[in-house]
Amino acid sequence: MAEPTASPPAPSPSHWRTQLALATAWSTGVTFAGALALTALVLWLTGQPVFGTFALMLRTALGSKVGLADTLLQATPLILCGLACAVSFRAGVFNVGVEGALYLGAFAAAWTGFTFVGLGRLPLIAACLVAAAVVGALWLAVPAALKAYLDVDEVVSTLMLNYVALSVTSYLVNYPFRAPGLANSMSPAVAEQARLTRLLPPSQLNASLILALLLTLAVAWMFGRTRLGVSIRTLGNNPRFARVMGIPVPRLMVLTMLLSGAIGGLAGGSQVLGVNYRFIDGFSPGWGFDGITITLLARHNPWGILVTALVFGMLRNGGGMIQVFSKVPISIVDILQAAVILLVTAQVAVPSLRRATS
Amino acid sequence: MNDLVSVVHAALRMSTPIVYAALGGLIAEGAGVVNIGIEGIMLAGAFVCLVAAWLSGSLWLAALAAGAAGAVLSVLFALLAVRMRANPVVVGLGLNGLVAGGIAYIMQVYFKVRGAFAPPGVTGLPRWDLGPLAKVPFLGPVLSGHTPLVYLAGVTAVATWLILYRTRFGLWLRAAGEEPEAARAAGIPVPRVQTLALVLCGVITAIGGIQLSLGDLTRFNEGMTSGRGFIALAAYYFGQRQPGPTVAAAGLFGFFQALQIRLQSTGYPPQLVQTLPYLIVVLTLSLIAWRRLAIQRRWQRAALQRYRTDAPGH
Repeated sequence: MAEPTASPPAPSPSHWRTQLALATAWSTGVTFAGALALTALVLWLTGQPVFGTFALMLRTALGSKVGLADTLLQATPLILCGLACAVSFRAGVFNVGVEGALYLGAFAAAWTGFTFVGLGRLPLIAACLVAAAVVGALWLAVPAALKAYLDVDEVVSTLMLNYVALSVTSYLVNYPFRAPGLANSMSPAVAEQARLTRLLPPSQLNASLILALLLTLAVAWMFGRTRLGVSIRTLGNNPRFARVMGIPVPRLMVLTMLLSGAIGGLAGGSQVLGVNYRFIDGFSPGWGFDGITITLLARHNPWGILVTALVFGMLRNGGGMIQVFSKVPISIVDILQAAVILLVTAQVAVPSLRRATS
Repeated sequence: MNDLVSVVHAALRMSTPIVYAALGGLIAEGAGVVNIGIEGIMLAGAFVCLVAAWLSGSLWLAALAAGAAGAVLSVLFALLAVRMRANPVVVGLGLNGLVAGGIAYIMQVYFKVRGAFAPPGVTGLPRWDLGPLAKVPFLGPVLSGHTPLVYLAGVTAVATWLILYRTRFGLWLRAAGEEPEAARAAGIPVPRVQTLALVLCGVITAIGGIQLSLGDLTRFNEGMTSGRGFIALAAYYFGQRQPGPTVAAAGLFGFFQALQIRLQSTGYPPQLVQTLPYLIVVLTLSLIAWRRLAIQRRWQRAALQRYRTDAPGH
């Protein structure tokens, strides 16, 4: 008598999660390797040292305590912007307006910080951050409502509103709130007690890194463990199914964009309170747009965003130094980053999974 | 009066690159591929034509080089966005970054300059004097004394309309944009049509970039397009994706730019005028969407009404 052959155990959900994580890591790795190869080609074709450049970047970004701290400093706004984009992208809302929310949030934080100078340390910092989050969220409320209730393409509206935010904040610090006696267009400095603690003093690395880490944890928890997170994921995976399930789709879309704007506003606010201590006209090198790349690379996984933002921060930090210590221009980092962006949604690596994210 | 003449004259000049990019973007959008890479393509056109004019001394070769640069970048765009089905918005962002970074890199490695590149001995585009026509009051001084590119912009607009609405390619292009599935079923090679549309878009946009580096000035500044690609995007959305209204919108936005420069000297904040094109577009899109919704509702009500009166048993 043959024993009934035991059928292989059914794969558990955690098995699928591991598979998905591996696939994500694989495709992200392929994208990155492709971009690195392209950058190496550019360096080689223009007669610059290939390995020397990469080695120098790695050494400056990771080789010393200050270097490491600066890498974390560069990564902080990127983590926040990546999370901001992830919240709405995961719901299938292609919101590219985080850059605008970042500018207005930063201005709100700066204004609160130089206006309510009589407040104590914690109340003032809290007020600044709340102002940044609220203003960021309100800024995206308009395109959110237009998308949810009138079906206005959110890509176009948020893209356009970024430029409005840039111009409006530029107006504010050039005219009504211009700091007296300074050549550049910037707001007055925030009160002493509103400035965030520096973590590793020679570096500007500050407590906003902790905020970014806490928010990563919060978004991961929200996606994985709450009803809201499940609704967002359902909406992102299959809007029609979400509607049939009774998920209030328009309201959820608005909510995700408000969250996105709030986190984007915090990214701007934390830069003001932690690094610049004032609002500087046009201070963002495009963090809100980098957030798009980062969340797409990480497939909207908060921990993936953390890792990807750290890698991007490393590139930025290392790139700043190669300009000083070699003849290679810093723009090689822009080229590398652009190559990543170009490749990130291309269907090269795992075609079956690509469809879900684009 | 003299003020008005000079502002409108400047408006024509300043709207020219926007007109080209808007027509290019319109063609790509018509084929169903939104191309925000026009910002970078315009920048590449501006840079390449200046370098080519400096190296060859010929403006014709410069224009050819700019067009070729636009075509090459567009092929890259099409390869990623059409063939490899990448998200076109993301590819556009990447292309803009690649061009900006690539130009800065080239300037620093080969020309040893940063920020701006102004090679000596390059003559810019000629200014055409309209002869006796320039004597016509108001219109004469406004229309006369521009670079050939300004006049060619009108020709390009007409050509774009002809291509889109009077050729088989244009029909295919619009079909690919509106109903790609149906177009594929009808035997239209959708990817090839989209690729061609993108290349056309790239060439036109890059030509528009020439106005920046050989028309208004004979130098190149990093980031000299300063958002004109996005204003062009705004122009064709405001123009509801029709060539005529798009050119009018681009003209209006060029007028805003000229006005803003004029107002700057009177101390008026230029930033507020800068927001106008973008605000107008968001408003237009909202109005269009609202009207569409209203029409839909009316149809639904009418259908319900018919059902109530016609259906048996009621």
